[in-house]
Amino acid sequence: MIEGMLVNLRQRELTDHVRTYAWLNDREVTRFHPTRYAYSLAYEEAHYRLDTSSGQTRERAAFAIDTKERLHIGNCGLTLQYAESGSAELGIMVGDTSYWDRGYGTDAVRILVRFGFESMNLHRIALAVYDFNARGVASYRKAGFVDEGRRRQAHYHRGCYGDTVVMSILREEYAAGAGRGMA
Amino acid sequence: MIEGSVVDLRALEMDDIDRCYRWINDREVTRFLSMRYQTPYAAEESWLRDRISRAMSFTNRVMFAIVTKDGRHIGNCDLFDASPEERKAHLGIMIGEKDSWSQGFGTDAMLTMLRFAFDEMNLNRVELRVYAFNERAIRCYEKCGFVHEVTLRQEQYIDGVYHDAYLMGCLRDEFYALHGKTPA
Repeated sequence: MIEGMLVNLRQRELTDHVRTYAWLNDREVTRFHPTRYAYSLAYEEAHYRLDTSSGQTRERAAFAIDTKERLHIGNCGLTLQYAESGSAELGIMVGDTSYWDRGYGTDAVRILVRFGFESMNLHRIALAVYDFNARGVASYRKAGFVDEGRRRQAHYHRGCYGDTVVMSILREEYAAGAGRGMA
Repeated sequence: MIEGSVVDLRALEMDDIDRCYRWINDREVTRFLSMRYQTPYAAEESWLRDRISRAMSFTNRVMFAIVTKDGRHIGNCDLFDASPEERKAHLGIMIGEKDSWSQGFGTDAMLTMLRFAFDEMNLNRVELRVYAFNERAIRCYEKCGFVHEVTLRQEQYIDGVYHDAYLMGCLRDEFYALHGKTPA
């Protein structure tokens, strides 16, 4: 388990699939998530069964996000893209909407970034976020991520094309204290 | 076969194996691609066999051999990861014959493939990734209508140094405005 200020990141367990299933079928949550078709509970369970039977790998380190009261509120993870340059992509979903705008997601991102640099020895962590997800962009900036540009009309979501914003944090920026409120 | 001005695009065949094998083991060529390890002949052969054993389709990789008007196979190009919902795809291109660099063959292949992507596949956006030091390619892509959208900082490690990569995007409306709509 990795401890943050507000949340802990822990290994994913098979029983988490029920909550994840509910989040992926919540239109308020998937407004910011590249999900468009409905997932069945059986599909999510099968996915979790496969995922939790192998555990984390260097190619994919996925975590469940728990509050300090051990309430499961979301998921996050790092996916290695280029082993040679140490470049990975970060993904996160706070599925329990009652925990939005309270710093839980930002805390999860911060400790996931720390894990990426200090445990996985990454050089670069990047992410993609929809242009209209102002909450997400603000949170990533707070965690030390820098805007790299926008892929124009790269996604089609709920009736219109929108830009996808790309952000990243480099190891040297992390080492200099970016995102930890002391840079 | 799809006709361009100075090149044509055709399907790859098993007979093309020796050239493909030579190109992807040529460091001067792969320096600009996301390849660095040597590829055994058997691996390239099974890749090509697998690739051409299925017909091209929207959701399967659309891959062409680039052939000059006098019949010389000089490179390959493809459209991959096409998304029907987002109407976008990624583009890749390699001119493996180095004596055919900087002569407009690559640009013509790009324009021909982009027109195919927009006119035939009904795409709205084509995207590519290029290393920041590949200035010749970036100039070519800009000529074709691509816009530099994102700088992926230090994303690649090549020849002992971290390098930026660029994401470039070309939208259908911009392509038609620049190169004209295909006459009906």
